Amino acid sequence: MVRKILFALALAGAASPLAATPLNVRVVDASGRPVRDAVVTLYPSGLVRSAHPSGRYVVAQQGLQFRPFLTVVPVGADVSFPNLDPTKHHVYSFSSAKRFELKLFAKDQSRIVHFDKPGVVALGCNIHDQMSAFIVVTDSAWTARTNAQGYASFNDAPNAPARMTVWHPYLRAPGGLIQQAIAPTQRSLNFQVRLRPPPPAMAMTDY
Amino acid sequence: MRPFRSLSARLTFQFALLFAAAMLAVSAALSSFIAGSASREVQSQLQASGAVYDRLWQQRSRELQNAAQLLARDFGFRAAVASGDEATMQSALGNVASRLRVRSAFIVTAEGRVSSIGTAISGDKSTALFNSLDDGHITGVAVLEGRPRQLVAAPIMAPTLIGWVVFASDLDSKEMRGLERLSAIPLQAAVIVDDKDGWAEASGSLPGLQQREVGLIEAHVERAAAFEMTVKGDRSIALAKSLPTFSGSDRAILLLAYPKAEALADARKLQLALGLMTLFGLLLVGLATWKAAGRITQPLARLDEAAGRLASGEHVQVRVRGEDELARLANSFNEMVGKIAEREQRITQLAFNDQLTGLPNRTMFQQQLEHHFRAAAGNGSLFALHCLDLDQFKVINDTLGHPAGDTLLVETGRRVQDAARGHFVARLGGDEFVVLQTLGDDRDAIDRLARDILAAITQPLTIDGNELMPSTSIGIAIAPQDGENGGALLRSADLALYRAKEAGRRTYAFFEESLNERAQQRRQLETDLRLALERDEFELFYQPLFDLEQNRICSFEALLRWRHPTQGIISPAEFVPVAEDTGLIVPIGAWVIREACSRAANWPHHVRVAVNVSAVQFHRGALNESILRALANTGLAPNRLEIEITESIFLEGGEATLRLLHALRGLGVRIALDDFGTGYSSLSYLQSFPFDKLKIDRSFIQNLLTRDGATAIVHAITELANALGIETTAEGVEETAQLMELRTHGCSSVQGYLFAEPMAAEEVEKLFSEGSDALQNVA
Repeated sequence: MVRKILFALALAGAASPLAATPLNVRVVDASGRPVRDAVVTLYPSGLVRSAHPSGRYVVAQQGLQFRPFLTVVPVGADVSFPNLDPTKHHVYSFSSAKRFELKLFAKDQSRIVHFDKPGVVALGCNIHDQMSAFIVVTDSAWTARTNAQGYASFNDAPNAPARMTVWHPYLRAPGGLIQQAIAPTQRSLNFQVRLRPPPPAMAMTDY
Repeated sequence: MRPFRSLSARLTFQFALLFAAAMLAVSAALSSFIAGSASREVQSQLQASGAVYDRLWQQRSRELQNAAQLLARDFGFRAAVASGDEATMQSALGNVASRLRVRSAFIVTAEGRVSSIGTAISGDKSTALFNSLDDGHITGVAVLEGRPRQLVAAPIMAPTLIGWVVFASDLDSKEMRGLERLSAIPLQAAVIVDDKDGWAEASGSLPGLQQREVGLIEAHVERAAAFEMTVKGDRSIALAKSLPTFSGSDRAILLLAYPKAEALADARKLQLALGLMTLFGLLLVGLATWKAAGRITQPLARLDEAAGRLASGEHVQVRVRGEDELARLANSFNEMVGKIAEREQRITQLAFNDQLTGLPNRTMFQQQLEHHFRAAAGNGSLFALHCLDLDQFKVINDTLGHPAGDTLLVETGRRVQDAARGHFVARLGGDEFVVLQTLGDDRDAIDRLARDILAAITQPLTIDGNELMPSTSIGIAIAPQDGENGGALLRSADLALYRAKEAGRRTYAFFEESLNERAQQRRQLETDLRLALERDEFELFYQPLFDLEQNRICSFEALLRWRHPTQGIISPAEFVPVAEDTGLIVPIGAWVIREACSRAANWPHHVRVAVNVSAVQFHRGALNESILRALANTGLAPNRLEIEITESIFLEGGEATLRLLHALRGLGVRIALDDFGTGYSSLSYLQSFPFDKLKIDRSFIQNLLTRDGATAIVHAITELANALGIETTAEGVEETAQLMELRTHGCSSVQGYLFAEPMAAEEVEKLFSEGSDALQNVA
């Protein structure tokens, strides 16, 4: 799925009138260890390029967990929530980007939610507190997530002044978000962030 | 150690001191232990209270946290928080807060917005609160709006952290009172907080903490040990516990204090009781020691007192109790007293009793005499003093020996005692005895007693086979008329005794005043006699002895005359006894010999001089020397000196007398026996000594012509003398008829007024110078 987005972004970069140069970002925690699953978004000034939804976005409930834990979708995407567990689930989101509630749907039932505003949507299950997942709804085509080494790269980042945001579910900042303005020539950035410990009941074995 | 007057006091003091020291030491140790124990007890109670408070704190924390977590998980609540539905949030929060009885509660969003109920929170505090929560603090003490509170938070997960529910429970005085009530001891609790503005007493019952005290508290927080500090003006035992704070930089301390006075009140009571017991014990010990010391020292004190009384002459006995050393001491003391008494009695006996007869001696007699005088002065009574002197005791002593004399004295003492039963009898020495007779109205009792004594003594007595007929003379003086004191009375009795002796012995005589006058005369005579030699008042007269064979004067007898300056010529019969008594006869006799020899040296060679020598002079005077010196000085031939002695010189001396007589005879001095025929006229003398001459006593001569017996006796004497080759001289020849008779009997020479009276030395010389044979014609 990530590759698809990157693919999309690459296409968008190619279409840009501005010259584009690769931009590398690295995110580490307070102790210098790489932070994965941080979502890095670039907002070049005066240039808006949205990503377009492509394919199906699925956040399944399986083994009393959301799978996957983090999903990045473009604005306007529809995400289905299939219940693969024998129990019922009550999926909800209080996030301002998308507030919804999928009350008590049973096994093999699926619901589809349309995400039409950019932002982070924190998912929970009202029945099972330990279930947690995030959907980042992005309105920028330059959106990437860090790999296991904490790296994220933009191959087609325009050579223009830009604003960059870094979000992580456990990042200690209001909204879990930090942002930084970058110069057109700045092609490499390092972010050192402070993370909260993950919630104790949270099972994060799948990634 | 300062000196004590009594052993008892010293023992009491020392033992009481010892006991007191021990008791005080024990008491002090106990007291210290009590105080320490009380202090430890308080400390442990404080720590227990601290632990209780910990539990309470945790309980409350858990309660609040549970409630907060419950609320934070409520779906509606979470929806309200997530959607910013303030009204719903606050109502839900208020609902839970009131259920928990918590006044203040907050919701802090992940963005840092604070929504509160109960207590509004300033911007600064909001940030601080958010930061603390964001740092992960979910429980602890924080000061909000100037008051310390126990904050408990719970995160709101939806499902990510969207905020926190915070309950703030007041740590106010009410809370503290609750804690204080929970405690087993009446402690005072307070929480003090330092929230960067410095320490402040945040709640509780300890307003106005001083900086110094805060320092003290801080210092003891880490040690978790109790310490002392002043709380509200009282010394208190305190314990400080650190409380978790909500903000990392804040600090909070729970202070538990217990007023020391209260804490140690029981201990103080115990100590007081202990002190009283100690005091009581001391008193008891003092009393017991005093008693015990008394038991030990009482016998000593009794001994001490007894010894004092013994020293003052009392014969005391100490009561003996038990068998210990003190009892033995008391026994020894008693024995000692007994022996002292015995010894005193013995000494008294020696001092006051005559050893020979066992009768009281002179010393005791004098005491008794004084006693009688005092008694007489007291009741006006009379008493008589009888002085006894055995007749002829000296003769018995000399002839039978001293043991016989002693036997006589003992027997005499016994007899006097028997006769004078009920009266005081004493022996003054020698053969002198006295009887003190207390008189009633009956004056005849004196005579009766004197006669009884005479009769008792005049009983035959056999000593060593010799039968004796002892007799005594008694002189009696009556006090106080015959003597105002002992000395005078004794002199009076002595004078009376003289009189009795004079009266012929074996009789008694009363003192009369005339006796006293005579005694005075005699004393005067003694005094004058002493001066007579110096004053040359003596004079020798010479009476010629006429030799009947050769019809011429053959000898002169020197006769002593005393020409007294006021009384004229005093007869030798008067003064010689006095001179003998006083011993003056010795120098006088020596003078006589010297004077007589000196005169006789001028006389014709056939004329001798005869000198009378007294027995006293013979025994006491150095007669031999006197005679030798006189002969040597005058050149008189010894055979011209004739010593005239009487038989009385044989009464004492015995062998010594004979030796002296022989010595004189050895010199060539002639010895004549004077007054022959009177006295004992023991023929044994004639046998034992070769006298040159016997002088027939004048009493025979005077009776020569009138009594037949006298003639026969004179004849016998002259016959005897002629037979023994001894010359005879007849004394006191006054008549021619007597002379004729004497010639007939063959008497060698005569002496008397018929021929010549005694004449002065000058006349004798004149007689010779005239060459007169004046005296011859008489014959």
